[in-house]
Order: sequence, then structure tokens, then C-alpha cells
Amino acid sequence: MKLFFWKKKPSGDMQQLKEAYFTASQGQLIRTRFKKNRSAKIAAWVLTLMILSGYFSDFLSPYSPDMSGRDKQYENGPPQFPIFWDENGFSARPFLYTTERYRSIETNFRWVMTDNRDKRRYLELWVDDWEYSYIDISWNLPGDWFDVDIKALTSTKHLFGMNEGGIHLFGTDKTGKDIFSRTLHAIYTSLAVGTLGVLIAFVLALVIGGISGYFGGWIDSVLQMFTDAIRTVPPIPLFMAFAAFMPDTWSSEVRFFFIASVLGLIGWPTLARRIRTHLLTERSQEYVLAAELCGAKPGHVIRRHLLPSFTSYIIVDVMITFPYVVRSETALSFIGLGLTDPVNSLGSLMQNVSKADVLLNYQWYLIPVIFFIAFVLAFVFVGDGLRDAADPYSQTKK
Amino acid sequence: MLKFLKFTLTRAALSLITLLIISFIVFTLMEMVPGNCAERYLAFKNTAGQNITILDIAAEERRLGLDKPFLVRWGTWTGNVFFKGEFGESCILRLNINQILSDKFWISLGICFAALFFSYLVAIPVGIYSATTTNAISNNVIRFISYLGLALPNFLLALIIMLFSTIYFGESLTGLFSKEFRDAAWSLAKFQDFLSRAWLAIFVLGWSATAFAMQTVRALMLDETSKLYVTAASARGLYGRKLLWRYPARHSMGPVINSLGFDLNRIFNELPVVALILTLTEAGALLIEALARSNDQQLAGAIIFLLTASIVLMNFITDIMLALMDPRIRKGLIG
Repeated sequence: MKLFFWKKKPSGDMQQLKEAYFTASQGQLIRTRFKKNRSAKIAAWVLTLMILSGYFSDFLSPYSPDMSGRDKQYENGPPQFPIFWDENGFSARPFLYTTERYRSIETNFRWVMTDNRDKRRYLELWVDDWEYSYIDISWNLPGDWFDVDIKALTSTKHLFGMNEGGIHLFGTDKTGKDIFSRTLHAIYTSLAVGTLGVLIAFVLALVIGGISGYFGGWIDSVLQMFTDAIRTVPPIPLFMAFAAFMPDTWSSEVRFFFIASVLGLIGWPTLARRIRTHLLTERSQEYVLAAELCGAKPGHVIRRHLLPSFTSYIIVDVMITFPYVVRSETALSFIGLGLTDPVNSLGSLMQNVSKADVLLNYQWYLIPVIFFIAFVLAFVFVGDGLRDAADPYSQTKK
Repeated sequence: MLKFLKFTLTRAALSLITLLIISFIVFTLMEMVPGNCAERYLAFKNTAGQNITILDIAAEERRLGLDKPFLVRWGTWTGNVFFKGEFGESCILRLNINQILSDKFWISLGICFAALFFSYLVAIPVGIYSATTTNAISNNVIRFISYLGLALPNFLLALIIMLFSTIYFGESLTGLFSKEFRDAAWSLAKFQDFLSRAWLAIFVLGWSATAFAMQTVRALMLDETSKLYVTAASARGLYGRKLLWRYPARHSMGPVINSLGFDLNRIFNELPVVALILTLTEAGALLIEALARSNDQQLAGAIIFLLTASIVLMNFITDIMLALMDPRIRKGLIG
């Protein structure tokens, strides 16, 4: 009797599990499959953390990333890590030493910094500093119509700071700007440029790929020829050619929008091709024929029947395209044709690092590089994980 | 044979159309830049101390043919490029573009093809190995490297290598030639010097192409090894390397050859930025110079067009190669 129960119970569970499996929606299936992939899950957490720290960069960074937040007393300064104890004793609050700098004929008139180990400065949490807004949209685009200035949720609170002097976790650059603050803001900018670029590319790809895949025939051939021609041109040189139009007089917002649209304008062909292929295969299915026989118009069939059939694929494609866009932006900004100095993007932060002086003396300039790599890696892993999860045959293949 | 000729001709025609579209895009880009050549020439004269009037500019425009409609100018430019191989004059440097480019473009092309060659030399065996091995550690290492190929762009790799070499060797490993050979004519000694310095550029340029090619080869091999014809072959007693090379590897070569053009694209893509970091003196560096500093659209257009044209040519060659290699296509074409 006991044996019977022992045997029966799991199979009942199995029945339930099977029931759940067969009635699960597409989204639920993808989610369960995604959760099984450990590296993708870790990457998803890293990505979320980075996106959040990008969004709350104002709150998290102790200093403003532009010239107003610079530390005149600590230019080209190495990273500072708060510590709890030293030979003079223990402190419950983490502290830094006061740095003093001086220059004279002995130091060849270079600034030399020394730590005064007797003067401690203490870390403080929840400090008041410069003002910022969580919702801050102020665009100064050409034409009065597009000028927007919205500020809301203004605050002056920052996560941490020092009771006196500054704290620079990643050091400072040659003007004394805090690299930690700049990195956080750069993540936000790179995300924003990437999102806008992918969005533009996506809309273009959807329209062009959609038309091409749905109508087929000569329209498809012509559009494909055009798409393939654009795909053959190496994108970064093409980006550079576009970016070279930017007059120096443009404000940083305009540059931002221009770069994002250029990234979108050149990034669409790959996406368009995938959408076309999806459409071409789905198009010959019977449910499309049924809809057409009912008198549905092409636009209706595409929007209501075809697009939902591969939304998951589209999301995955967008996720996979994203790191490429961020990478292109970084390369552009790196060579000085993209976003430039007052704007912090991961590329513009790395602009000066290839100089021998920096490589030899100020290696902390390279810290943003690590963030860039982690950022792209996280995106790639999440994209790959999503692709595997969205593919209903991925399990049987293995 | 006639069918094969027809196939080749269609492919050639398609490549030509692609080139035409690209020439149109490039030419439009060149034209979109504010200010034209006439103004540039005269601006130069102006700095040389002459007074310039609007009439002078108009006369200069007529002399250069800039008063003609856009399509006519595009036609002349493309005609010159296609039939005479002439890219005209750069109006910033006031020099013939072919002259500026000739040597440097071939150097770039050489480096890029070397990078492509080495990336496949590494990617094919490693990809096949990682697809067939059951060793989890080496598999994970290979997977991680191929992910890094995307996350660590070539220019960052170059930076990191430079960082280490400046710290540990005190030399930044940049440039393509030593000082004494920079302006010398080509000779054996110069070539040796070039080779001793070009390896870093070749390695850096080939880096992400290698990672991608590795992934492609691995995925293809995984797909093929699970197919029935492989099982059938092993049932007949084939095993080990013989089995791999005879059946699945040969089968997956097709798509690999197909991806050559895209990998060349990937390498060209990185060329300008890598050139900037490693201070190479070739076409990629010229492109940056032309776009970022002097706004020399004629030169930039010529370089972009030439790079793309070599990709189109590459695609054409791989298409023909594929047709010759794949017995299914070859049978249909040649009989």
C-alpha cells in the first residue's frame, strides 16, 4: 500500500508538470528555459545592476561628472580606497588620508602628492552635494519647437562623500574630474545612445524587412540588393564618414541625437534581413492564407498575424544587435568623431588612454575599459541565453 | 561549361550592380559635406593673399564641372573609377588621390588579408577541436575567448597590449616601419623590417574575426557531426581524424568559405581605429586623417569605396569557389 502511494505521487506531480508545460504561454516557457541557463542568469543580474547604476548615476556618484565637479587639488590622482585601520589604530568609519601636494625645483616643478597619515578624513553616507533630477529632459535641438525642459524629482542627496576633501574611487583625470562618477554617467549615455540607435534601426528594419518579406517577388529582389550593398560596406568607416559632417558648433545634445540616428541608419540591414527571412517562412503558413481569404489587408496581416508570431525572435535579435551598436559608438567616440568631452560616454572616456604618458603613469584611466567589457559581455550572454530560450527546439537539439 | 560561364557572368553582373549602389552611396556622402572643391581651392588662394569674389568661385566651379547636375557628376566620377581607375584629385591636399593611396592601400590590403588568413588558420582547427572534444575546461576556455572577441574590440586589445609592453618592455610596439626605413624604397631589408613590426597589427586586426570564425566553425561542426551520414561512415569503420576530415569538416567548409567576405568586412571595420592606436601609416590612418582632421571627402570616399570593392570582389571569388567546390552545384553547372 505504501509502495503504491510512493509510486503514484510523483507521477501525479509529473502529470501536473506536464499539464503546466503544455498550457504554459510562450513567455512562461522562455522564462523557465532562460532561468536554467546559469551564465545567462548571472549576466542578466550584472546587466540589471549596470543599468540601474547608470540610471541612478547622479545619486551614486559623489561628484558631478563635468567641470563643475572637478577637484582642483587632486589632478591625475590615483584611485583612493577608504580603509578601516592602519598603524595609528582602528576606526569604525572608513577613512582616507589627507593628501598634500607641493612642487618645487627638486620635483622639476611637477606636482608631487603625499599622504599625511596623521590627518584622517572620514567617509559619510547620504550627503548633500550638487543638485540633480531623476527626470531631467532638457533638449536644445535646432528649432524652438523641439526645445524641451522638464525637471522633476529633484534632489541633492548622494550616496556617499567625505566630511572634507574628496574621495575618488577610480582616481581623477587630468582636469581633476572624478573617473568613478564619469564612468557611471558614461554607462547611462552609452545605454541611451545604444537604445535610441537600436530603436531607429529596428523601425527601419521592420519597415524594409517587412515589405521585402511580405511582398516578395521583384520588390524583395530590389530591396535585398540594396540591403546587401549596404551590408558590404564596413560600418565603422561609414559611420566615420557620416560623423564627419558634424560641425563643431553643434551642442552636445544635437551631437548625441545625430550619432544615435547615424548608428540606427547604418545598423538596420542585418536586422532587416532576419525579419525578412522570418516573414518569408511564416508567410506561406496556412493561417496567413486563411486571414487573406477572409479579406484582411496586408498591413493587418503583418501587424496582427505575422509580427506576433515571432515577437520573441525580434526581441532576441534586438538584444544581439545592441552590443554592436554600443561598440560602434565607443569606437567612434574613441577616435573623436562621436560624442566628445563634456558628454561622458564609454568611448569618450577612453579618448586619451592611448598616449604613452597615460599608459606609463596613469593606468587608472583604463578602468572604464573594464566596465565596457563587462557591459558588452553581459549583453552578449543575455542575448545568447534569450536566443536559446526562445528557440523551442534548443532542448531537443542537445 | 556554358552554364558555368553564365553563372559567373550573372555573379559578376550582380557584383557590378552592388558596386554601383555603393559608388552612389559614397558619392552622395562626399557631396553632402558643406562646401565644395571650388570653395576649398579658392579658400587656399585666399590664405595665399589673393582676393576672392563670388564670380571667381562660380568660374572655378565651371572649370571643375561642379555646376552640372548631381547625377551627371556621379556618372563622371563612377565612370572614371570604373574605366580608368582614377579617383580624381583631393582638393585639400591638391594631389592626385591615386598617388597618395597607391602604396598605402596595398599595405593595408596586405595586412588585412594576412589577418584574415591567420584568423582562419587558427579558427578552423580550434573550432573543429572544440566541437569534437569532450574536455569541459578547454571547451569553456574556447567559448570564453570567442565571447571576448565580441566584448573586447580590437582597439581595446591593442591598447591593453600596448599598456603591458610599455610597462614591461618600455616600448610601445607601434608603427609599421623603423625610422630608417620609413621613406626608403621597397627592398628586402625594408620588407623584413615591416614583417618584424606588422605582426602585432595583423594579430590585433585578426582578433575578433578569429573569435567569430571559431564560433562559426564550431557551430557548423556540431550540426554536422550529429547527422546520419557521419554515423553511417563510422558504421563502415571510419574513425578519428579521418572520419572528421572526410565527412563533417568537408561539409561545413561551404558556409565557412561563404563567411570569408563578412570576416574581411569585420577586419576592414577595425582597420581605422587600430591604425590610429598603433600609429600605422596606411590607408586606415589616412581615412581617419581625411575624416576627422582635414575633412577631405574625396580621399575618404576613395578609401571607403576601395575597401568595399575589395569585399565585393572577395564575395565574388568565394561564390565561384563555392560553386566549384560543392559537387551539388558543380554538377549542375559543369555537368
